[in-house]
Amino acid sequence: MLRESSQRSGTIDNLNLQGTVNPDADSGVPQGSLLTAFAEAAVRQTDALPGLRDQIVSELGVQELVDAAGVVANFQRMVRIADGCGIPLDEFTKDATDDVRDELGIHEYASAANTA
Amino acid sequence: MTTTTASFAYTSTTWPVLDRMAAAHRRSWKMLAAPGEWWTGAERISIAAECRRASARVDGLPDPGPGPAELPEAAVFAIHKLIGDLPNVTRDWYDETISAEGMSDAHYIELLGVVVHIWSVDEFHRALDIDLEPLPEPLAGEPTQIRPTGAKAHGSWPPTVWPDDLDERDADIYGGADRAANVRAAMSLHPDSVRWLTDLFDAHYLSWIEIQAVQEPFRVLTRPQRELVAARVSALNECFY
Repeated sequence: MLRESSQRSGTIDNLNLQGTVNPDADSGVPQGSLLTAFAEAAVRQTDALPGLRDQIVSELGVQELVDAAGVVANFQRMVRIADGCGIPLDEFTKDATDDVRDELGIHEYASAANTA
Repeated sequence: MTTTTASFAYTSTTWPVLDRMAAAHRRSWKMLAAPGEWWTGAERISIAAECRRASARVDGLPDPGPGPAELPEAAVFAIHKLIGDLPNVTRDWYDETISAEGMSDAHYIELLGVVVHIWSVDEFHRALDIDLEPLPEPLAGEPTQIRPTGAKAHGSWPPTVWPDDLDERDADIYGGADRAANVRAAMSLHPDSVRWLTDLFDAHYLSWIEIQAVQEPFRVLTRPQRELVAARVSALNECFY
């Protein structure tokens, strides 16, 4: 989905999907490194979280911070539904993302055995 | 600590939480307090309380204590597994859980529905350093024990109900769509959990209609920014889906 929406948005020249799995990789999404750092700090509840909140407010805006918190909260829920039910990949998703899953090492996740 | 009314007023925080989010959180607490199909209101509050205990354990925080009703041992274990040990949730574990005393596939799905929605609202608060909302007082009433007649094996561990097989009382759960993504159908053994998912998904992320639309949604972060954060959270949880 990110690959598709990035192409459509016309604002991302070089999307690097490693940015979704590697905190040191620049995804190419505007302010992407800051947003993924916030996501990681929120999921892990690290000491970096307060500073990252301030940084998002400063660089993006306060509404963007609240929005980002909503997205984090949403996917903390969705992953538990997916892994708690062992849902299979939708056929379309499987066909469209198999190469990316290989590239990013997602096939190595323990949950791959439940979902594939 | 429990309360008779959920405020989610967000008056003590500096963050401008959107009305859409606050309203969905209030509806979540209303859903939580009511008796479900397989658990009483008091048991649902206890599931939520156990969810908070599991989260506190993961974060090394003091135990906030149990809820008002005793839960089956397998239910308590499942809650802690779903919160703190997600990568090791397996088919064998699921089969063992639903076969345990006081459990069934339908009990498990309703429990999962409570866990993931309470967890999600709490995670929103933790991400913004907002105090957690006290859990609501349970509403009286007995579980209906109504199981969707169209539930079938479709590849997920629990049976699911596809749009063509919905009972009349549940005809709304996919918004009239003739197809449903597997993650949306995952909890359809307990249709109220699908309704709850749709409501909170819209408030926190995008509506199902916005997901399928080509144009940029009317949200604050752009679609690529939203999807990047979503993908990062999934990766951090080692979620294959």
